[in-house]
Amino acid sequence: MDEYDELFEVEDDFEDQFADELEVLAEMEEKNTKVGKGQQQQDTSDIEHLLDDQPLTPKAKRQKQDVGVVKRLFNAAKESKGLSKGCDITPPSSPEQYEPSDAIRSASALLDLSGLATIPDTPARPPTAAPASLHVLKRPPLEGEFITVTDSSGSRVYLRQKEESESKVVESRMVPNSQGSLGLLAVPVGVLREQEADRRHQQVIEESQRLTDLLTGSVNDVFAEPESRGEDENEDTEGGACRLWVEQFSPRHYTELLSDDFTNRCLLKWLKLWDTVVFGIERKSRPARPDRQAPTQNKPNQNQNRFKSKVEMTEELLEAELDQYKRPRFKAALLSGPPGLGKTTLAHVIAKHAGYNVVEINASDDRSAEVFQKRIDTATQMKSVLGANEKPNCLIIDEIDGAPAAAINILLATLNRKDGHGGEVGTEPTKQQKKKKKESILLRPIICICNDLYVPALRPLRQQAFLLTFPQTQPSRLAQRLAEISLRQGMRTDTGTLMSLCEKTDNDIRSCINTLQFLHGRGLKKVDTRTIQCVSVGQKDQNKGLFHLWQEIFQLHRVKRKRIGEAFEEAPGSGGGAQRFQHLLHLASSSGEYEKVSQGLYENYLSMRVRDPNLESVCEALDWLMFSDRLNQVILHGQNFTLMRYLPFLSVTFHFLFAHTHVPRISYPHSQQEATSKILTSRNALSTMLADIPACIRTRISQLSLTLDVLTLLLDIICPKLRPVNPQLFSSREKEQMRELIDTMLAYNLSYRQDRTPEGQYTYLLEPRVEEVVRFPGLPTRRQLTYQAKQTISREMEQEKMRRAEQMMLQRNPKREGDKKSEGPKPSRNHEQRLENIVKQTTVESRPEVDFFGRAVALKPQRPQPSSDSGEKNAELCMGTAVGNSDVCFRFNEGMSNAVRRNIYIRDLL
Amino acid sequence: MSLWVDKYRPTSLGKLDFHKEQAAQLKNLVQCGDFPHLLVYGPSGAGKKTRIMCLLRELYGAGVEKLRIEHQTIVAPSKKKIEINTIASNYHLEVNPSDAGNQDRVVIQELIKTVAQSQQIQSSTQREFKVVLLTEVDRLTKDAQHALRRTMEKYMSTCRLILCSTSTSKVIGPIRSRCLAIRVALPSTEEVCSVLTSVCKKEGLLLPPELAKQISEKSGCNLRKALLMCEACRVQQYPFSADQDVPETDWEVYVRETANAIVSQQSPQRLLEVRARLYELLTHCIPPDIIMKGLVTELLNNCDGQLKAEVAHMAAFYEHRLQLGNKAIYHLEAFVAKFMAMYKKFMEDGLDGMMF
Repeated sequence: MDEYDELFEVEDDFEDQFADELEVLAEMEEKNTKVGKGQQQQDTSDIEHLLDDQPLTPKAKRQKQDVGVVKRLFNAAKESKGLSKGCDITPPSSPEQYEPSDAIRSASALLDLSGLATIPDTPARPPTAAPASLHVLKRPPLEGEFITVTDSSGSRVYLRQKEESESKVVESRMVPNSQGSLGLLAVPVGVLREQEADRRHQQVIEESQRLTDLLTGSVNDVFAEPESRGEDENEDTEGGACRLWVEQFSPRHYTELLSDDFTNRCLLKWLKLWDTVVFGIERKSRPARPDRQAPTQNKPNQNQNRFKSKVEMTEELLEAELDQYKRPRFKAALLSGPPGLGKTTLAHVIAKHAGYNVVEINASDDRSAEVFQKRIDTATQMKSVLGANEKPNCLIIDEIDGAPAAAINILLATLNRKDGHGGEVGTEPTKQQKKKKKESILLRPIICICNDLYVPALRPLRQQAFLLTFPQTQPSRLAQRLAEISLRQGMRTDTGTLMSLCEKTDNDIRSCINTLQFLHGRGLKKVDTRTIQCVSVGQKDQNKGLFHLWQEIFQLHRVKRKRIGEAFEEAPGSGGGAQRFQHLLHLASSSGEYEKVSQGLYENYLSMRVRDPNLESVCEALDWLMFSDRLNQVILHGQNFTLMRYLPFLSVTFHFLFAHTHVPRISYPHSQQEATSKILTSRNALSTMLADIPACIRTRISQLSLTLDVLTLLLDIICPKLRPVNPQLFSSREKEQMRELIDTMLAYNLSYRQDRTPEGQYTYLLEPRVEEVVRFPGLPTRRQLTYQAKQTISREMEQEKMRRAEQMMLQRNPKREGDKKSEGPKPSRNHEQRLENIVKQTTVESRPEVDFFGRAVALKPQRPQPSSDSGEKNAELCMGTAVGNSDVCFRFNEGMSNAVRRNIYIRDLL
Repeated sequence: MSLWVDKYRPTSLGKLDFHKEQAAQLKNLVQCGDFPHLLVYGPSGAGKKTRIMCLLRELYGAGVEKLRIEHQTIVAPSKKKIEINTIASNYHLEVNPSDAGNQDRVVIQELIKTVAQSQQIQSSTQREFKVVLLTEVDRLTKDAQHALRRTMEKYMSTCRLILCSTSTSKVIGPIRSRCLAIRVALPSTEEVCSVLTSVCKKEGLLLPPELAKQISEKSGCNLRKALLMCEACRVQQYPFSADQDVPETDWEVYVRETANAIVSQQSPQRLLEVRARLYELLTHCIPPDIIMKGLVTELLNNCDGQLKAEVAHMAAFYEHRLQLGNKAIYHLEAFVAKFMAMYKKFMEDGLDGMMF
């Protein structure tokens, strides 16, 4: 009975703890009665009520049936609104008001109700029952309207027209045209429709009957005497043999969910945010937080308290205002978490709970772009008008992390789709949606579910979705549920066993239940810890991440303290050598990333706290590392992949050599990667240097000799002592030295490049950066040249380079240079090329005039020309006229002046 | 061309400073006309390349010194393009196939075939063969070396190969047997000293014989290094003094310090420090076998007779593993750890012996 109490406590606390949900539930209940939407009412306190009833009913057997019937009725009443209106049973607002006697009464009423269903089946039978005789009369009634009916034998009866509906149902065959309308069918459409509705209702009732049986069975199993269990068991085995327990016991109500309450609540709240747009209900702002109402206040609010916990942040997100279409800010929710925590179940339960019809797309569906688009559109823009589930759709995209990026892009496009007519917002979104054909905005919630949140394809979605990460299921809750299940299935277990099962499966609900069913299927009626430990199922074959593996390798688990009464087995990590061996081998081989694992081992093993004065285990570890390195080499070079099976043993060896009870501090192995990149940069610097070294030196040095012999000394050699004076003032010996230095640097393709440090100082750096290649840290620094010296060298080098380039030019085309020189001096030198001279040339020197065809024209002496001797004198005069009115046109050539044009060679300057 | 190494490099066989006998033999080899494939091997800085260039000059005359760098692109069968630089004159072609990494076989096949298949036009005035000079043959993969075997025989009439490597141990037997092996040993200390003195004399400097000796010892008779050191000394201080400290290469100093660190303490923590230093050496492009060699040399200085043999044995073992494996750092560290364990045991045994 202890467990019973425990369970009860939980149920009692429920009201206090989950006020939020209850509020939402109450709200919904209200809405149910008001709006009359045909959604499945969530009755949180069914079980509670039943439990309350239990002590009052010592006669379990009979009473139980009654209770079941009550339940059935209750469900039926909820699910078939039309019919439940017809009969006079109204569902009480709170089940607590039930009295046992009441229940019995209503049960009989229900029996009537179900009996009623037979009537439409046989509508032809003339009413013979006592109440019918009240209506069928042999002679015309004295008062009220009546109808005469004559049958085939000729006898006439009179029917009193009392209540329209009743007479219609009962005598529909007899009086086909009772309404005065002519029908083609023998049975009027109304009747047929009702018949069909009844049939469907019957189905619903049957189903709910089954469910209630299950439920009551479970409740009874837990609390009733074992004698009543026998029956249930038989029922269950016949029904449940073919079904997975996971299916069978999956939660159907919000309160049955095992996942973290906060997560559940968040998702539910998010889904409720859609109510405004989907159901057209105005969202009630909470009286407790009036400041949230004003949207303008929202933003400063967020800015003020910037540092909020994650929980608060999520709350904030949920409280945020709706957008212009009254949709929540995040159009999609993205649930993430490891498998078996109940993500899919949660999504389904909550969507149903909030009154949606669930449409699921998962990995087993075709998720190519077109199909995906089509399905999203169908799900979000259409609505089933036939059938019982006339509810808005809620799209659940399961296993989205496996979807192709194209599909996710389509989803994103759907989320971001803008309305064609941005401003107007219809009062009834559903109508608006119907009007729109293709460009309509998303008006239905989408819930995405994934295991790995950080798949590259999901990156854009992550920013636009309401993220919910699933925490681990609490083992106590899981164990409790397992206990219920095993009790119902007649397995004998205890909490310790179930806890160890939870531990083994890492709180994976699915895996736990499957393991239980497996054990059950093998005929085990009693499960204890040992069985759980020995059985090899239930362990998930998933890699746990490198850090976990390294931790397992380096940590020796302590033997867990024994629980009272029974011996409690150790965790898989501890225990005997063989067991540890197997465990680690399993872990290592399932991880598969041998390269990374061995890197991590190599980087961390020396910092483990192991007493190893003689370095024996270190040597052995290194031997193993060498072995695995060789193995790798053989595998990669010879494609001999069968040898890979020997790789995981490295981890096992390290465990036996270095495992310690302390929690190891493990760092991620970076050094190999860093070393590789450093080597690459060094190589690049060297090859840049080698690339431009002239061939005669290039033959003598290789990269290897450069690093080993030449470079260090070369760097010394190019740092001579220079007097800090102008190079013009150097002595001849110094000049010679300088020349040699520059020669050397040019020969080895070294140069100084001016660079600016972040502090704003200028420095000269040796280019290519070979200094880093040969200098080692911790050694005395070599002498460096001063900034001035480097500057001088750099300048001199530039000059030398120019000189050489010119020489090369000369060597390459000496002919042209000679040609130019042999051409002789230009007719006029620069200083003579003045404007007056040019003008003089043009004006004074008369050119033979030519006509249009280039023929010389004989000048006609119209005006007396200035004589040739006076021409000299009158030049200026001529010029004046020339500028003014002659046919010489002057134009200023911008950017070009003859005054400075002169050929100068580098050698003249340097 | 202003480094002394380059400036005073002998260009003809007659001018070589040491191994004159060998030079004379080479001269005879050229003159008799029956020139075989050559495999020139010897330690770095002994003058292999100089000797080869002198030989080529002897073969073809001064035209062989007009060198040009050519960038060649070779398309591997896997459609991968391999870029490789060759240095060529009109008479010979120098390739370092190991630049191409794993694809060196393709380089060997393509490049040598194209060279070898073209005949010399005027064989009356010239030699009837061209020379292909392959450097760093010991870094060639086995595949490439096998590709070389057939080529060597097939194009014998038009092409001679001169292979240049530091040791023959990595050259496969078939190739060794097809070549005339010429070993260029390191010069003796005296020879190095005389070279240094003559170079200084040409520069117009006065080199004290003590300093010359010190330089030649410090350089390990690596003539290239010795000359560079000498020039560095000159830059550092002139006039020379006899007890001037000779600049060394940084990596050697670093290796020595690492060895000292190993000897001074043996613990996992010290091993971690040593690992960091080894990584440092590797990232500075120092080949792991040279690191190993340097370490062993330094460590052996600190060992007693019996331990010396053991350490040498272990070093050989670990170096072999190093050649087989891929991750040098594991092997180097394994050697260091092994040495630490051995040294510690040895010291403790010694202490015990002293106490009793």
